[in-house]
Amino acid sequence: MKRCLLAVIFLLVSLAAAPAAETPSELKPFVRGSWQEVLRSHAGRPTLVHFWGVTCGPCKVELPLLGQFMKDHSEVDVVMISADLVPNLPGAARAMLEKAGLGSAENWLFSDGFVERLRFEIDPAWQGEIPRTLLIARDGAVTTIEGSAEIPDLEKWLAQQKAVMR
Amino acid sequence: MLRMSLLATLAFSLCQTMANAQMSHHQHASEAACEEVDLRCASKVTPAFASDGTLWLAWMAGGRISVASSKDQGRSFSTPVQASKEKLNLDWGPDARPQIVIEKNGGIALAFSIFRDKAFNGQVLTTRSSDGGQSFAELRPITASNDSQRFATLGLDADGSAFAAWIDKRNRVPAQQEGRKYEGAGLFFASSKDGGTTYAEARLASDNTCECCRLGFAFAGPGRPVVVFRNIFEGGVRDHAVMTFADPATPGEVRRVSNDEWQISACPHHGPSLSISAASTYHVTWYTNGKARKGLFYARSDDQGRTFSDPLPLGRADRNPTRPYVLSGPHGATMVWKEFDGERTSVNAMTSHDEGKSWSKPVAIATTTDTSDHPLLVSDGQKIYLSWMTKADGYRLLPIGDGS
Repeated sequence: MKRCLLAVIFLLVSLAAAPAAETPSELKPFVRGSWQEVLRSHAGRPTLVHFWGVTCGPCKVELPLLGQFMKDHSEVDVVMISADLVPNLPGAARAMLEKAGLGSAENWLFSDGFVERLRFEIDPAWQGEIPRTLLIARDGAVTTIEGSAEIPDLEKWLAQQKAVMR
Repeated sequence: MLRMSLLATLAFSLCQTMANAQMSHHQHASEAACEEVDLRCASKVTPAFASDGTLWLAWMAGGRISVASSKDQGRSFSTPVQASKEKLNLDWGPDARPQIVIEKNGGIALAFSIFRDKAFNGQVLTTRSSDGGQSFAELRPITASNDSQRFATLGLDADGSAFAAWIDKRNRVPAQQEGRKYEGAGLFFASSKDGGTTYAEARLASDNTCECCRLGFAFAGPGRPVVVFRNIFEGGVRDHAVMTFADPATPGEVRRVSNDEWQISACPHHGPSLSISAASTYHVTWYTNGKARKGLFYARSDDQGRTFSDPLPLGRADRNPTRPYVLSGPHGATMVWKEFDGERTSVNAMTSHDEGKSWSKPVAIATTTDTSDHPLLVSDGQKIYLSWMTKADGYRLLPIGDGS
């Protein structure tokens, strides 16, 4: 508490003087209702939602590829949701995201001990296997990719999205 | 001065809010009801009955493995004893749980896994109590290998020796160095002739199995361990297989339980369950999301796993059935699994009195409104009980009716 007090006083004093430092990538807590928030805030835009976890082997391979995909395609909203069972570790999740070039994506972290309910809100048939990718089209149509996604498949989906636009 | 004290007040109230927020967030986000080592704080609880009818539990709570016993079927417990002096970074994977076997002479053998590094590489540790659970020996790794090991299962053979099987990644790096593609991990095993104090050198039973699912384990008879596991068949198909050992040192053939055609490069975190009846029927339950079928299934084998019956679907597909478990007892076989209706989790049970050829209608036998451990079954040699840890309602041990 004492350390916190000192830190906050320091922060308040320095706030006026110092320019805003670059903040580390934010991890939003994914709780009950967050899924609807994700859907609402990206409605009408092609969106890639990726569920992953720090203990998932195939995710370690796939994450950098998705980082590159995001870099190459600014027209797609990329939403990353760390969906290991709790305790989901923010430090480990952030480190993996940044290493994969996904620090600037919209990043969420499962933060509700009742993961069955979180998953049920997203897809009642999903039992938690990761990685898992949902491609959400402009019209809200969802394509689910179980397991590691192949980048050419993502490119193909994106091309279809662009074709619809024309 | 006034400014300074205003600043201090603001800082104090900010810190208060942050501390409260952190606390409530932590409680909410945890899968455990509390952070101490008590049973009520456990996220995973594993039961075992001793031959004298005493119920023993091993559980994960507060970063420790604790053990306690009950002589009144779970109504009251002995003072818990921790298996380690220090707090551990226990493997919290959905299918990880401590393993406990109780020997006829009262000795207790434990096995469980920890995360040994920041990359979540696991290590299987073992220990033994020779004084009826009053104290445990120093923890020992089950193998000298430093590669990741997880999902140990432990069984007690008829001659009193302990048999352990686990998922082990030691073959991964050598394969990659030779330029070979390596999927999954190896199924390894080892026996202990001294009640779980030391284990023989670990050996490979089968390579390229799924790396993130619990194993199903039972004995087909004295010296005949049987393991059911999520295998990786050709083309990355993660369907289930069974292996019957010729003896505790001799692995058998890999035989397919069913052709679900689940080709997936992912961690299902959802392993199978196996029980073998006195009449030698293999009962297997599992989860798949394959092309051929999706959901929970049951199948039986009369010929030691050479062939299996057509898979029988379990549970309501619209209620996300999960975590099936099967146990055969003297009065028949029982299966349980979880279902979720959007608010409530229920454990559903059904029973069979004809070696699994027909089953009773499923009945919900317990419910909870927050997160819960997998439902497990345990037998005292007479009845079969549901053993279920829940965050909201604590630990439960419920005798299951025969469904007739």
